[in-house]
Amino acid sequence: MQLPSSLLENAVAEFSKLPGVGKKTALRLVLHLLKQDVNEVQHFGETISKMRRDIKFCQRCHNISDGDICSICSNSMRNQHAICVVENIRDVIAIESTQQFNGTYHILGGIISPLDGIGPDQLKIESLIHRIEKEVVEELIFALSPNIQGDTTIYYIQKKMSHLSCRITTIARGIAFGGELEYADEMTLARSLANRLPVQQYVK
Amino acid sequence: MLQLQSISLVHFRNYVQSDFSFEERVIALCGKNGVGKTNFLDAIYYLSFTKSYFSRPESQSVHHGLQGMRIEGDYLLNNKKINIRCIVRETNRKEFYFNADEYKRFSEHIGKIPCVMIAPDDVALITGNSEERRKFIDTILSQCNTNYLQWLIDYNKILQQRNSLLKAAAEHNLLDESLLETLDDQLSEKGELIFKERKEFLSHFIVSVKKQYQYIAQKNDHISIEYDSQFLTASMKELLQSNRQRDLYLQRTGCGIHKDDITFLMKGQSFKTLASQGQRKSLLFALKLAEFEVLKQQKHITPILLLDDVFEKLDAERMHHLLHKVCVEENGQVFITDTNRERLAESLKEIKVPFQLIEL
Repeated sequence: MQLPSSLLENAVAEFSKLPGVGKKTALRLVLHLLKQDVNEVQHFGETISKMRRDIKFCQRCHNISDGDICSICSNSMRNQHAICVVENIRDVIAIESTQQFNGTYHILGGIISPLDGIGPDQLKIESLIHRIEKEVVEELIFALSPNIQGDTTIYYIQKKMSHLSCRITTIARGIAFGGELEYADEMTLARSLANRLPVQQYVK
Repeated sequence: MLQLQSISLVHFRNYVQSDFSFEERVIALCGKNGVGKTNFLDAIYYLSFTKSYFSRPESQSVHHGLQGMRIEGDYLLNNKKINIRCIVRETNRKEFYFNADEYKRFSEHIGKIPCVMIAPDDVALITGNSEERRKFIDTILSQCNTNYLQWLIDYNKILQQRNSLLKAAAEHNLLDESLLETLDDQLSEKGELIFKERKEFLSHFIVSVKKQYQYIAQKNDHISIEYDSQFLTASMKELLQSNRQRDLYLQRTGCGIHKDDITFLMKGQSFKTLASQGQRKSLLFALKLAEFEVLKQQKHITPILLLDDVFEKLDAERMHHLLHKVCVEENGQVFITDTNRERLAESLKEIKVPFQLIEL
């Protein structure tokens, strides 16, 4: 793409670094900003750099936070003895919107995958073990993606905390809610059958 | 009963536009070199497996210089008419239809029209490296047991992770022992499942292969076939444990079901080096016919058998037994190719089976 200005070109290059944004979309966004008032664009840029500069990560669970401790961890109404282990912040948002979980979180920042160069030391596993040792934790709930890397991560953490007595559970795997049985893939269906539930529990 | 009644080829390989219909159960195809005998069989294979028997890019399946292709076959399966259609558009987009329904996933089609092809190149199964033999067994097992394929996929993923870890450990000179143990546990779990399945399957399969060989050759040629796996003596976990130092040094996993093999022996020596061309080919047929038997039992449909250039290298006696086996004893449809019209016709007359001769 031939652009008339190198300033424009730099801006387009920066925008196209964003996930899901290609060269053309980037150009559209930049041209849109060009039509705006100078002050407004100034504000736009400052908001973004301020966000990056001032945002903090909770020292306890590594969630996004405005202070040292995030709003979930500092909420005294929540059960501090249950920790839900998730991969990233998006998972926290997803679980929070179910309004079914009243404990705290621990964000690993990824899952173990040596193939992608991600080992346990890049993740917040050490601080999780430390947290379980220090705090009174009754239950550790793993809410990780149901794949091999997720399993590796669960087994690894379990191995690391074998000296600690704490209930370890993982979220159920099975048929999606509101789904049609015939469209479920065989593996999911087989697993749902293997781990079937008593009806009393199910109706609740 | 599965029977291909007619096939139509448009722009497939060297066929610009051809239609064939088949009245008999045994179809003999003859023609000179390069007229398209193998391509003809490949087209039938294509309709069963949604791809060519020969691994090559899709664009090479299309007639040279033309664009897009189409293969269409009419089958009779248990007295029901089935139409299978494959269209590769000019854009190289492939569409596959079962009657009027287009497939979203091609893998759903595989196994619906069972078919076994035997081509001269398949000798690699005997002379080639162990990968060929594992692939052969895995293909059969995946069709019989749906879990098997998933185990195998999982196993390979974990194996990749483990190898990456070994590499990273060597680079940084630092190994996370508990992570390696975790991966070992995961790998062993899948590995043991696969091993058990292979062992169970091969215990029957090997007997069947030997029986087929005996039938074709009318003697056993002192052949023995063995499943060769490290796990016959030790569990996967023990092996991973004892091999750990070596694995760390080599930066890859030296033991596991990915090292399994099937050994063929003749009079106690390596079959590969001792056997004649004809004996190799006989064993190849025995393996493929054993596959044919397994598919037949599993699917309750006799697969279509495609024999490419079978007359090459086999003596008249073995040829006679083979043809008798596939054309008379089995009730499935058979396609046979040869360059020599007379030889083909004579051989088929000899076993007294009605056949249709197509000259290409």
